[in-house]
Amino acid sequence: MTTSAEGAVIETEMLTKRYPGDITALDGLTVSVAPGITGLVGANGAGKSTLIKILLGLLTPTKGRAKVFGHDAELHGERIRTLIGYMPEHDCLPPDVSATEFVTHLGRMSGLPATAAKERAAESLRHVGLHEERYRQIGTYSTGMKQRVKLAQALVGDPRLLLLDEPTNGLDPAGRGEMLELISRIGTEFGISIMVASHLLGEIEQICDHLVAIEAGRLLRADSITSFTETSRVLIVEVEEGAQRLADELSRRGLDPRAQQQRVLLRLDGDVTYDAVRDAVADLGLPLGRLQQRRHSVEELFRDAGEPAYATTEATEVSDAV
Amino acid sequence: MPSDQAQDLMTSPAGGVIHDRGYRRYEGPRLGRAQIARGLCWHSLRSAFGIGRGPKAKILPVIVAVTMCLPAVVNSVAVARGGAPVVFYGTYLFPLRTIAMMVFVAVQAPELVSRDLRSRVLPLYFSRPLRRGDYPAAKYVAFVLACLAMIEIPLILLYLGTIVSAKQGHGIWTQTGELAGGLGVGLLWAVLLAAIGLALASLSAKRAYATGSVAIFFFLTWTLAGIIYSVAGHAAGPGPALATSGQRLAGLLSPFTVLDGIRQWLGGKSPGPLAAPGGYGAAYVVMFVVLLAASVGILAARYRKAAEQ
Repeated sequence: MTTSAEGAVIETEMLTKRYPGDITALDGLTVSVAPGITGLVGANGAGKSTLIKILLGLLTPTKGRAKVFGHDAELHGERIRTLIGYMPEHDCLPPDVSATEFVTHLGRMSGLPATAAKERAAESLRHVGLHEERYRQIGTYSTGMKQRVKLAQALVGDPRLLLLDEPTNGLDPAGRGEMLELISRIGTEFGISIMVASHLLGEIEQICDHLVAIEAGRLLRADSITSFTETSRVLIVEVEEGAQRLADELSRRGLDPRAQQQRVLLRLDGDVTYDAVRDAVADLGLPLGRLQQRRHSVEELFRDAGEPAYATTEATEVSDAV
Repeated sequence: MPSDQAQDLMTSPAGGVIHDRGYRRYEGPRLGRAQIARGLCWHSLRSAFGIGRGPKAKILPVIVAVTMCLPAVVNSVAVARGGAPVVFYGTYLFPLRTIAMMVFVAVQAPELVSRDLRSRVLPLYFSRPLRRGDYPAAKYVAFVLACLAMIEIPLILLYLGTIVSAKQGHGIWTQTGELAGGLGVGLLWAVLLAAIGLALASLSAKRAYATGSVAIFFFLTWTLAGIIYSVAGHAAGPGPALATSGQRLAGLLSPFTVLDGIRQWLGGKSPGPLAAPGGYGAAYVVMFVVLLAASVGILAARYRKAAEQ
């Protein structure tokens, strides 16, 4: 992607950040992020949080530049911070105040006058799905509710861009789904651009328009979501026996399967693939156990797909989900 | 159909229900950085007295305030009965004021800084239109104001209680002059104690440790100054009660005696806890500046680091 995209929300140019001790967090990152919901994927330590801190104007890049809505992050951090709502990855809520008081206070800190802060705090909390419980002390909340308060405080100042760092951290599957749905709604219905940092590609690709993948501070790939998920799907065919025979049969039919114990993995190219599998299984009379789509891990997905990388079978995660 | 209803309301495991109502943009005025910082300062000032927290948070500030005001009330009763004043503007009741301020600063400074560190709220402040120095500056100004209120309000009560019994205009004039001096000394107290308290408290996210470190610093230096003072006095042997150089310098060891040394050097008449610094007065001023600069420096460095984390 080019750096001078018109109307880009975020633009970075050869952005480099080295910490003392020769730790390179970002290494010549050049990327442009369009309005909409953008996923920022990468393993833990890939440089996601460092990028966010630079965009907020809190860290000075060692080299290169970052712009948010055309404002230089290094020079106009204060201006940029009036336009951004930030949701940190870690816990950041005091236990002994109510969500209403807390979000109201942070609304004031975003520059809202007292009355407006109160109104917008109530609205933000309603938007994230906190109602009567918002008068209770935050210490009594579940993890899911706390994540919502964190999102509400990012939303209270009516930002143009939300930077969300691992917003589904610590949530159970149902909670994750709800959080993602909420983020998707904010991005589409509220008209606020969002950059979601996550190490779980499978999760955020459901809600993103664009994806930026970084690894070791470098850009792996940045593109619209449709442009690669279509070509990246893998079909898992599980048979109780005869996996190798099935693989051979599928090769004969012009596909590129890979047998793996009881499974056969192959690149999914739409109905043609399904038809071929159906016919092959029927012809060989094999007991079909499972037919499932899955995606590559992020590295496989973004790296040059010279050879089909079916090495890992489980998980769409980049790394350990702690 | 009941299932339709269930679909309209997305129920979260927490029991929350998401209703779909539209988002409204905020088109109203936005406050600038200075006004936001002022808002933070006001918020912090309230929290220094436990306002906006639970009832428990108010207990200590109230006890300290009442303790500090009591001598002023006693004095006004004494003066009204025709007795001599027992409390002075410059020193107030020095041991009482020292202990009360030790407790107030040790307990309330962590309220202002350690809570935010502990709950890791700082990134939320730093991601807003404030500069990194604004947060500690707002906290410092707020705590200076809180300490001022604790020190100066009793002095004003003392003044009011005294002048109602004053017979002539001359008495009121003298009292007003002495009050002004006392308020000035109070300002020095507030500026220094707030800085030391916040600097030490900001080094620990755990409230108990923060309180402990402030209390231990104040108490140890205070005790040490007292010990050195009496040792230096003994060394001089029996004789006319003239302070030795050792005694005149002992006060440099504790912020409270540094403050009193400056008061006496500036011409404060009422007797202090230690002998007047005499020719060493300038050293007390230097010590004051060093303590203040070190504290403010620690505070600034602490938050410069925090902003980048």
